[in-house]
Amino acid sequence: MRNADCGIKNNIIDFKDVTFVFEGKAPLFSDLTLSIEKGAFYLVQGPSGAGKTTFLRLINRLEEPISGEIRFQNKPFDSYSPPVLRRSLLYIQQTPTVVDGSVAENLLLPFSFKNNGHLTRPGQEKLEALLREVHLKDVEMSDHAMNLSVGQIQRLCLVRGLLLSPEILLLDEPTSALDRKSAQAVMALIERLNVESDLTILIVTHKAYGQGRVKPRYLRIEDGRIEESS
Amino acid sequence: MTHSIIEIGPFQLILALVFILAAGGASLYHGLKLEKDLLVGTIRTFAQLFLLGYVLKFVFRLDSVWLVLAVFLFMIVFAVRIIRSRIVEKQVAFFWPMLISMTISYAVVAFLITGVVIGAKPWWKPQYFIPLAGMLIGNSMNAVAISLDRLLGELKKRRQEVEMMLCLGADYREASKDMVKNAMRAGMIPSINSMMAVGVVFIPGMMTGQILAGADPLTAIRYQILVMVMLVGCTAILSFLGVRIVCRLCFGPSQQLLLKPEKNRPTPPK
Repeated sequence: MRNADCGIKNNIIDFKDVTFVFEGKAPLFSDLTLSIEKGAFYLVQGPSGAGKTTFLRLINRLEEPISGEIRFQNKPFDSYSPPVLRRSLLYIQQTPTVVDGSVAENLLLPFSFKNNGHLTRPGQEKLEALLREVHLKDVEMSDHAMNLSVGQIQRLCLVRGLLLSPEILLLDEPTSALDRKSAQAVMALIERLNVESDLTILIVTHKAYGQGRVKPRYLRIEDGRIEESS
Repeated sequence: MTHSIIEIGPFQLILALVFILAAGGASLYHGLKLEKDLLVGTIRTFAQLFLLGYVLKFVFRLDSVWLVLAVFLFMIVFAVRIIRSRIVEKQVAFFWPMLISMTISYAVVAFLITGVVIGAKPWWKPQYFIPLAGMLIGNSMNAVAISLDRLLGELKKRRQEVEMMLCLGADYREASKDMVKNAMRAGMIPSINSMMAVGVVFIPGMMTGQILAGADPLTAIRYQILVMVMLVGCTAILSFLGVRIVCRLCFGPSQQLLLKPEKNRPTPPK
């Protein structure tokens, strides 16, 4: 229970007058101004089509607003190279995606990109420990990733993202394809990272949040507005 | 080997229309509804080729470099227009970048072939430059259209995979590497297949034309070899350039993938 009573405000993301529109439609967000606090644990909720996924994609810069500014650590997005920014503000898609290759190849895929060249490749032990933590202990490194179930791929994608040590984790329905036990394991890992590593978390979810190690903050998206509640 | 070419008169041309009538009859019989297309196609074939014949006669007689280059540019503009029209995906505006890159590539290859390899003097000698450039443009146009269609189709179909890689810190080149490779291969394969089959499965049109016009078959095959090699080279250059240029245009300034389903297209930044 650490975020609700946090005394000093230390924003990691700031939206200032951000407007986003899909072609031929009314603006999804108009002059949106809000801040995401470093180390906070947010649950993003709202009706279908309200813009929850788009909100995460705007933070990850997969979408560009038509006007306004988004800042990361008090600097405009333009001051970061897009690949470096995206790796730091890591977004894991709702539909988990793997490439045609083994589990190990998929986990190490990000380390083949030149912008990640300076990152240390994790060893076998670290990979196996993380897989165990998300209840993937039966998955072998040599297994073909495309033969895994959707739930297993979802967890594999989460582990792959965490290996990049992001500043923010943007998760779009991360437990949608998981059974109760696996979902609990995934949430426990995310909570642990939030508490122990001060990792900022934003999770789009329709599920109710049970008793955990953190007290989440809620971002409710509806009618183009985002309102925060505890 | 010399012989005079047998002239084809108007009566023979009209007689050849029997084949079109047969095709039209088959279309009617099977309800294919291709009669109108056959009619338009036949009229266009006659009109366009007669027009070309008179234009070439005029260009050959004037022997002007500017006129030759104007014809050359005209062919390229139409080639890019045809490529644009053949590609279903319309989100990426690539007409001008492709026109510029195709003009430069064709100009370099056509100059090398006529001026350096054949040694025509001057290098733009219309009898050499226009037919060779025409073959170059016509054949590689198909390759570019196939490459671009494959690229845009794959980027759209595999959008999740591309975005997944972008999210993990890939730049747009890394995220689209596989699609670029597949697109380039798709464009190159037809001309490589032609090289495999030439002289065994088919006798190319240009060589046939030269032999019919009385050329020694050994001279005709040398020209044909030159043309085939030139085509493969130019196809490779253009597939590479075209695919690279269009691939960059598929991503925005922050390297976000712009190809999106129709209902999910964002309005671009002001």
